[in-house]
Amino acid sequence: MTQFTGTEQYYLDPELEAIVNMAIAMEKPLLLTGEPGTGKTQLAFEISRSLGTGIEILRAKSTIKGEEACYVQDTVLRLNDARFGTENTGRDVNRFHDYVIWGPIGRAFRSEKRVVLLLDEIDKTESDVQDNLLDVLEDNQFVMREINETVTAAQPPIIIITSNAKRELSDPFLRRCFCHHIAFPSVEDMRQIVALHFPEMKASLMEPALNIFYELRERGFEKPPATSELLNWLGAMIHAGVTPEKTEDLPFPGTLLKRTNDILSFRNKDKKGTSRKRGWGGY
Amino acid sequence: MTATSDPFSLHAEPLFLDFFYLLRDYDVPVSLTEIIDIYRGLEKGLVKTLDELFLLMRLALVKRVEHLDSFERAFALYFYDIDLPAVAEGDRDLLHTKQFREWLEQAVESGEIPQSKLWQMSRDELMEKFWERVREQMEAHHGGNRWVGTGGTSPFGHSGHSERGIRVHGQWKNRSAIKVIGDRRYVSYDDHQTLTGANIRQVLGTLKHMVPVGPHDELDLDETIRETGRNGGEIDLVFKRRELDRIKLILFIDNGGTSMLPFVKHVQLLFSKVRDRFQDTKIYYFHNTIYGHVYKNPRRTDAVPLEKVLQESPESRVFFIGDASMAPEELFSDYGAIEWGREDALPSIERLKHLQARFKYSVWLNPIPAGEWDITYGRYTLSAIRDVFHMEDLSLGGIKKAVTYLQEKAGV
Repeated sequence: MTQFTGTEQYYLDPELEAIVNMAIAMEKPLLLTGEPGTGKTQLAFEISRSLGTGIEILRAKSTIKGEEACYVQDTVLRLNDARFGTENTGRDVNRFHDYVIWGPIGRAFRSEKRVVLLLDEIDKTESDVQDNLLDVLEDNQFVMREINETVTAAQPPIIIITSNAKRELSDPFLRRCFCHHIAFPSVEDMRQIVALHFPEMKASLMEPALNIFYELRERGFEKPPATSELLNWLGAMIHAGVTPEKTEDLPFPGTLLKRTNDILSFRNKDKKGTSRKRGWGGY
Repeated sequence: MTATSDPFSLHAEPLFLDFFYLLRDYDVPVSLTEIIDIYRGLEKGLVKTLDELFLLMRLALVKRVEHLDSFERAFALYFYDIDLPAVAEGDRDLLHTKQFREWLEQAVESGEIPQSKLWQMSRDELMEKFWERVREQMEAHHGGNRWVGTGGTSPFGHSGHSERGIRVHGQWKNRSAIKVIGDRRYVSYDDHQTLTGANIRQVLGTLKHMVPVGPHDELDLDETIRETGRNGGEIDLVFKRRELDRIKLILFIDNGGTSMLPFVKHVQLLFSKVRDRFQDTKIYYFHNTIYGHVYKNPRRTDAVPLEKVLQESPESRVFFIGDASMAPEELFSDYGAIEWGREDALPSIERLKHLQARFKYSVWLNPIPAGEWDITYGRYTLSAIRDVFHMEDLSLGGIKKAVTYLQEKAGV
């Protein structure tokens, strides 16, 4: 098996690289958790790019059922064909297979080559759906229950699962995965990430910007700015040709802070020089 | 090679067994499946350095971010002989840890800190000295791959070292296990740190109320087939509405009186997370207990009559947060309110019963730990309120139980 390494557009933490390669070698699903903007989803794409394999993506929704991830039957089309005939479409109403639409897991299993299978934001699904999915992935097969036919994976996919911790994942689910929590990038890592996106960035912009960025993250906003906000902010400043000087006088604060409350408290703090401690007054 | 020196032989003592037991002492749950995963990984030759062992073990054993710090501390103790306390640098709770006390005792004994000087040093200086010492210990290990605690059963002499050299990844040196541990990136997620934003959000995540909403745009297959059959085969499509989460939350927060002061931070944190997670949330404040009015703002100047609150949907999930501790007459007398200008002919306990009768999905979260409910100074009123409401304490476990209680009540 070829080793997974970083690519030109993606800064790969060496620790993460080792982890991904371990999970691949052990054929275990790799569950990535961590706050938004730490590149969890991106990692799956990079693995597929680096290994030169295809990728199948299941974007989880709260209403999704495990079966849909494998296949769905196009019932409306079949009903329609049953009533009005198939004419020369080549479909046969009596043949179930003509009305199957494969889901990402179905496609990953049927693929001749090994692919990366990304289950994105798995925490949005119900817990029985999660267990269901892992049963399928552990056995590398599922049953199409209408026709009692088993679909087996030709090549077990490389499974990457991401979670934003919207809800707690069940213990059995966790037990079946290798789990890794991606911590927010340190200043050094962030410098590398920024350098990949803006190769021509001057230190005179980068250093004060990073300082301010990490200081803002410490302030306990409802939604602390993450990597993508930093990149947008830097992009905006480069475009406008300005550099940040003091935290109090930021250019484009709207690119960093998204919540109304955050922006308000940021502005108030600047004016009065005091933090918002009065909220609990009146004892 | 004899049978006993081969770590993969059936007769050999399995590797790192004491470490797995040590993890349990550190409250990291470890099961056989995970241990076997580690052995499989060793057999596959995934581990050639101590750093890689650290990664493999962490991947296989640590399933939740709140256990990461405990894992790192156990690893540091077992493999590096460094006993880290469960607090972050700069945290004053350090003074209460076993590690700090032992270090101080030993430092005084060895003369590193002379008795005479000890009394002149401030706590902060002492804490600084402690961490300096820890850093020195870590520094000594960084780079040198010392195996401590394996009792010489390390399997890596057989395969890794001689054949392929120690390091496989060039840059990897920058982040050796001991440095990763030194970062203490996960200390704020630890269970012992009680409530944090991340873990509260997880717990609240399960709270849901699914109702059919919106246009009828989802095909109801069963109904469609039934109707089509009744129609003699002429297709009759039947659509239904989708089920979506439409949960409503009401919070009543006791923010009055010094008794609630120590818990303000927890309560604030909890409710910033609640606002994140739930769009439809109403927050009211009260002082000690509820009379004819509650307040929309924390300063309790913007009063709302309780009758109005009682008109909220009875499907709402309702949380009361308060220590439920007060003078008995505040709860039981007519005109019991202690705040000036608020008179109410009904005793507060009756008001609470109204609320309970209207909102069947309600719980009371008490910042006083459950174990102390029977011995706290306010136990009399506390137990009276407990008779009205289901009560849990305001810990991670308590909130979990409260959410489970509400979900079960709603039949989910």
